[in-house]
Amino acid sequence: MVFSSIPFLFFFLPLCLILYYLVPFKVKNYVLLAFSLVFYAWGEPIYILLMLFETLSDYTLGRFMDKAGDKKGLRRLFLAMSVIIDLSVLGFFKYADFIIESVNAAFGTAITPFGLGLPIGISFFTFQTMSYTIDLYKKEVSVEKNYFYYLTYVSMFPQLIAGPIVRFSTVNEELHERNIDFDGFITGGLRFLKGLFKKVLLANTIGSLWEIIKASAFAGDSGISVASAWLGAVCFTLQLYYDFSAYSDMAIGMGRMLGFHYLENFNYPLSSVSVTDFWRRWHISLSTWFRDYVYIPLGGNRQGTLMQLRNMFIVWFLTGLWHGAAWNFILWGVFYGVLLAMEKHIWGKALQKLPRILQHIYAMFIYVVGFVIFVFDDMAELKHYLQIMFGFGGVPLMNENLIWYLRNNFLLLILGCVIAFPVYPWIKGKLEHWTATCSGLMRSRTSAFVLSVMLIFGYMGLFFLATAYLVNDTYNPFLYFRF
Amino acid sequence: MQNRELNRYDASFGSELMKLRSIITVVMITIMIIVFGIWFLISPKKEFSESENRQLALAPVYTFQALKDGSYMTAIQKYLSDHFPIRDEFMTFKTKTEILAGKEEINDIYIAKDGYLIEAYKQPRQTAKIINQFGKLYQDITTDAKNNMSLMLVPTAVTVYNDKLPAAAPDKGDLKQLETMDAIYKALPEIKRIDCYPGLLAQAQTEKEDANVSPLYYHTDHHWTTFGAYIAYRQYCEAMGITPLEESAFTKTVVTDSFRGTVYSKLNDTTVPGEEITIYENPENRLTVNYQDSEEVTDSLYNKDYLSRKDKYSMFLNNLHPLIEITNETADSDKVMVLVKDSYANSIVPFLVNHYKKIYVFDTRYYRFGPASFINQHPEVTDVLILYNMNTIDTDLGIGGIF
Repeated sequence: MVFSSIPFLFFFLPLCLILYYLVPFKVKNYVLLAFSLVFYAWGEPIYILLMLFETLSDYTLGRFMDKAGDKKGLRRLFLAMSVIIDLSVLGFFKYADFIIESVNAAFGTAITPFGLGLPIGISFFTFQTMSYTIDLYKKEVSVEKNYFYYLTYVSMFPQLIAGPIVRFSTVNEELHERNIDFDGFITGGLRFLKGLFKKVLLANTIGSLWEIIKASAFAGDSGISVASAWLGAVCFTLQLYYDFSAYSDMAIGMGRMLGFHYLENFNYPLSSVSVTDFWRRWHISLSTWFRDYVYIPLGGNRQGTLMQLRNMFIVWFLTGLWHGAAWNFILWGVFYGVLLAMEKHIWGKALQKLPRILQHIYAMFIYVVGFVIFVFDDMAELKHYLQIMFGFGGVPLMNENLIWYLRNNFLLLILGCVIAFPVYPWIKGKLEHWTATCSGLMRSRTSAFVLSVMLIFGYMGLFFLATAYLVNDTYNPFLYFRF
Repeated sequence: MQNRELNRYDASFGSELMKLRSIITVVMITIMIIVFGIWFLISPKKEFSESENRQLALAPVYTFQALKDGSYMTAIQKYLSDHFPIRDEFMTFKTKTEILAGKEEINDIYIAKDGYLIEAYKQPRQTAKIINQFGKLYQDITTDAKNNMSLMLVPTAVTVYNDKLPAAAPDKGDLKQLETMDAIYKALPEIKRIDCYPGLLAQAQTEKEDANVSPLYYHTDHHWTTFGAYIAYRQYCEAMGITPLEESAFTKTVVTDSFRGTVYSKLNDTTVPGEEITIYENPENRLTVNYQDSEEVTDSLYNKDYLSRKDKYSMFLNNLHPLIEITNETADSDKVMVLVKDSYANSIVPFLVNHYKKIYVFDTRYYRFGPASFINQHPEVTDVLILYNMNTIDTDLGIGGIF
């Protein structure tokens, strides 16, 4: 089930929240668990067993590890077992076919792939459950004794299928004790609505323009131009950002409504000024996961430049691979690994001296090209599209179609670009400041009142519009089936 | 001193207001979500959507297999969105917003000049199959009618009214329908080519100079008007050496002024005005119309019951029938025609009946035995006409039934 759908929004979520609020605290986790399992089974009726298996294994190993007390060897053994089991399941279901196909391609063998479908969200929940045993090994969290609570943590529907990757340490206290109050419902509700609007009104609509441009690049009837290809790349960048960050907004919002405080996952990544900055703002829960559980354990930057470069390469290779079992994802990860190393050791200082606008342009160029690498899992298609973008595709610089796309979508594109920067909170802050400080109590209060009424109606209007798009339901894709 | 206090007081007013406004927003939307949920559950479910002219999804039936492969969940999703309360109004709201935001194409419909909603032309995929089936019909006929076979492919508004499309639209100045038509005509040299495009185009030019001329296509529907069909009829006559009747020979009746057709339905923009349907009747005709499936016999080419419904175009030849036998006692020849066609032809039949004593009208979506074997069993058939419009021919399910 996706959040931005009629069954979820009008039936699943209200029903879950009503029941959740009504039952006594001791039962709340079980209500949440039951709904989460239904939520997952809705999209993956069979693979739910896989999640049950992984959580049961990590829960049990966690208990053993706890029992082992200070016996370091035993603890290490249980940790190793946990990591091996988790990674084997992930590896088998996500990467087995990719490896088989790569071997076949490289050595001309003909091993038959398994043809398994990828269980939705497996990369997310595997990383979540691993964070528990690793942190437990490091004694950074306390053991969870109730299996159902542990399963509730891993399967909690807000963050189950599209992140953020919530670590056990973030929520383990709240699993047992949390405030569920009206304020959380309101704050969380607003956050959820923002995510819903971003997903339905921006991500989906900009995404359908990307689909049109992508199709024209491969139609072979001269419909594409260099400028259109760039516009398409920008559209996909915006689509992915809004889609992904909208899911995080909705997850964080729903978590808040349920009494949980998740960490932020996006911080206006498209407004970054360098590649380093971009990865501090994009999918924060993933990059910090790799930092804490791979980069630092490998030695991080403490063993000299050469080792640091090796560690960076490993981390970014894995980051790429995490996003999908295909070569383009690996290429995408390595692309960033190389650029980050360059920034760190070669041009980072010089970059900071440039005018800010040039730093933005530099970062934009890189992440837009990056997402083109990200989107084409067929290397031939990727090459074709990049050739068009960089003027080697034998297509005109501009054409009528570009004008058509811009004419039809100018408002959408302007909004999409502007909102990707922290402009909305800035305007709202300015307006609020202005109403609070404008001379005369009456005037000040009237303008504050008018602003509030406008915002209320704005939200209601957007809610109706989002519902209209869902009812019409022409284009509502789920982008993370590869993660 | 006093001033500072005032500001502090006001800042707390501001933050209280901010809190209140968040509460109102979230509570109102929560109430709406619950209202819509309950409304859905208690509202009676329609089986058929008049405005979309299609069967709505049925409540899914639970089976373990359907649950296991996920089709049960997909069906629930479809059911919910098909039966959602005030679905049509939501559609209107979406369209209106998009038009306001500057969209000139929505759901493959151009918002064109002079109030026209024009369907975009999609890349054809079935051209080879169409050529194959038409050729098969020619091959399979063993009577003399074989030598009198003709084909009329009708370009739609996207081609004839190309000037009206918004600037820079992908279809503007790029008449792809004509290319497809040419490909089909050229591949079938043994079938007589009847080109109605020049006539329609000339009329479209005249229309530009004189705004009072009847339009060739409906503003809100993918069909041509009776007048559009009349222009094509003249082209047919010219190609066949028949003297066409003048427009004045027909009594024109405006049967409705509130027609909103299929293209309208794709947008559901309720501010688009309804339009007229005009029918042309020759008072001299003595008609017997025999619907062979329902064995209903009438003396009219129209079923005016449809005028009180949404799909008013269905009044022409009483919507869909596998085979209709039309006899006209006052036709100016004894020729017998077999017409293999889509719904465009329903508007041209009232003109053709003047020149054919008998016309057998086939809808091969429903007629399963192939018109060729019918023709071979009826040696009195003298002429065969295939008539399709270029927009729906590519997706027409009846093409496979032509042999």
